[in-house]
Amino acid sequence: MATTEEIAEAFAEWRERCNANERLKRMLRGWDRVVHLRTSDSSEQFTIEVRDQSIGPLGIGAAGEPDMVVTATSEDFADLFWGDLNPSEKYMSGEIVLAGSQEDVMRLDAMSMVAFLDQ
Amino acid sequence: MVTEPATGNAALRRAMGLRTAVSTSTGLAFAALEYLAAAGLVVYVAGDSAWIAVAVAGLLALLAWGFFGELNGMFPTAAAIRLYMKRSMDDRAALTITFTYMTTIVLVIAADAFIVGSAISQVLGEASWTAGLWILVLLALAVAANLRGIKVAGSVQDVATYTVLVATTVIAAAAVLRSRAALRFPLSPLHGHHGTDLIEAVALGVFLYSAFEWVTTNAEEVRRPEHVHRGMLIAVGLLFVVCALVTISMSHVLTHHQLGSAYPQLYLGRAAFGRAGLWFMAGVTAVTALNTFNGGFITASRFVYATAREGSLPRPLAALNDRAVPWVPVVALGAGSLVVALVVAASHSWQVLVATGAALEAMIYAVAATCVVRLRGRLPHEHRPFRLVGARTLGVVGIVVFGLLAVVASVSVGNHFNPAPLAVIAVCGGLSAFYVLRVLPRVRAAEQARRSATRRRRPPRPAGTGVPVVTGEWAETGESAQTGASAETGATERAP
Repeated sequence: MATTEEIAEAFAEWRERCNANERLKRMLRGWDRVVHLRTSDSSEQFTIEVRDQSIGPLGIGAAGEPDMVVTATSEDFADLFWGDLNPSEKYMSGEIVLAGSQEDVMRLDAMSMVAFLDQ
Repeated sequence: MVTEPATGNAALRRAMGLRTAVSTSTGLAFAALEYLAAAGLVVYVAGDSAWIAVAVAGLLALLAWGFFGELNGMFPTAAAIRLYMKRSMDDRAALTITFTYMTTIVLVIAADAFIVGSAISQVLGEASWTAGLWILVLLALAVAANLRGIKVAGSVQDVATYTVLVATTVIAAAAVLRSRAALRFPLSPLHGHHGTDLIEAVALGVFLYSAFEWVTTNAEEVRRPEHVHRGMLIAVGLLFVVCALVTISMSHVLTHHQLGSAYPQLYLGRAAFGRAGLWFMAGVTAVTALNTFNGGFITASRFVYATAREGSLPRPLAALNDRAVPWVPVVALGAGSLVVALVVAASHSWQVLVATGAALEAMIYAVAATCVVRLRGRLPHEHRPFRLVGARTLGVVGIVVFGLLAVVASVSVGNHFNPAPLAVIAVCGGLSAFYVLRVLPRVRAAEQARRSATRRRRPPRPAGTGVPVVTGEWAETGESAQTGASAETGATERAP
């Protein structure tokens, strides 16, 4: 089980990578969203806000009205933010559970893919 | 059927309500192809009795609704078809069936492009070959809109679907009333016909409801999970009412020649309100395509994208444009649909298209029944928010009935024996099987090799500490080299 600090650390790395990626910034044009993350093993919640083509800091706890909710194990979240995990594979096997529109799901997966194009 | 309350996605800012779930389910089923299928169906039975075949098909659609309701409840995700098939059968068989099923979407998009193109060409009084140009224009517009990430909003979809249903109902009822003639054999479908004719009519009737289950791919965005199966149920009811009325009016007022044309709905409009009715129905036909192009392109292209990301299709199919649209599947889908539509237009073989679609849908319903039965055995204690009563018995009934209808529909075109649909399905299934058995192992091996060559980024934990150790390139940046499990990353905020 990954700790909150591990997830936060992985997120910080991922966030920096994403916000520095020009192509990803273009992809996020007009996509202002609030995403809640829920860990299925440790019952923790986090909030990510995407605004003005930029990913905000990780909020501990569920804040605001979400456009999407992503549920996975804490280990999967940590691996995902480190780029060690293909979220689509986990999603297609039912290990990552999503709530939100298909377009938002696509955009979120695009973020993880473009941030780690060598994955 | 037993349903249990669930929390659903009520907290989402933009969640899909029951009204949109109904319009999505109904709109996906009520494609322009619906008019051709209805016209093709009436010739199998006596007089104005086709509504009976539509009703029997509706009961079978309810059976399919039970299967998809249970499966969707267990796997409320857009990837549900992959999940329940993978857990019910061998993954290779599951992929082969899924890829074959995906060809239905190509057929429906192609059919709608052909029908709308033909209808436009007809109302403008142009030569029939211009339908090909309209098909090209329509599909080019659909591909361009998809590449730009334009999606029909739920509210627009609601208006479009309910407008089509009401308009079609009004036109069909007006055509019957204005004929001022009594209905012919409305309760005697077998008058002058064989029992097998009725079975073939029912097989086509099932096609009238086909794709109502595609709304299950929206399971992640509904406000409450039960909206999906309730939406499908209401959609089946709406489809029965409208389709029954359309078949009655078509058999009542259209000639055999008009029934066999590529635009019987235009003749129906003309019978109801003259020239104005013809133009009106042309407009309604174009609106039906809106839902097909919107839902079909998104469903198919996203599925291909996700399957490529999963490693079951070549990676180029997961390429995204700057609007996060998987452009390769969208373009391929448009090109494939264009080729099919032009072949159909040139060969006037739209009835083969209808029969192929009917056979494929019956086949997938039989597969859904198989999955329900097998999952009851393999995952007996899995939570089922929607539980089909008598699932094992109904499942076996579904496998037999839908299997039989698939066989019947695949060898019958326009009330004549014709194995063309079977040949089309065999080719699609053969190509899918060839890919899964021969190509996929190589694709997966290449993907595995690529992943093995990729260095793991996450810092390893020393045994027993639970604390990540910072090593390698990441550590060399110095950025967070002092951080451990309890370190502040400087990028975390506590939500109020």
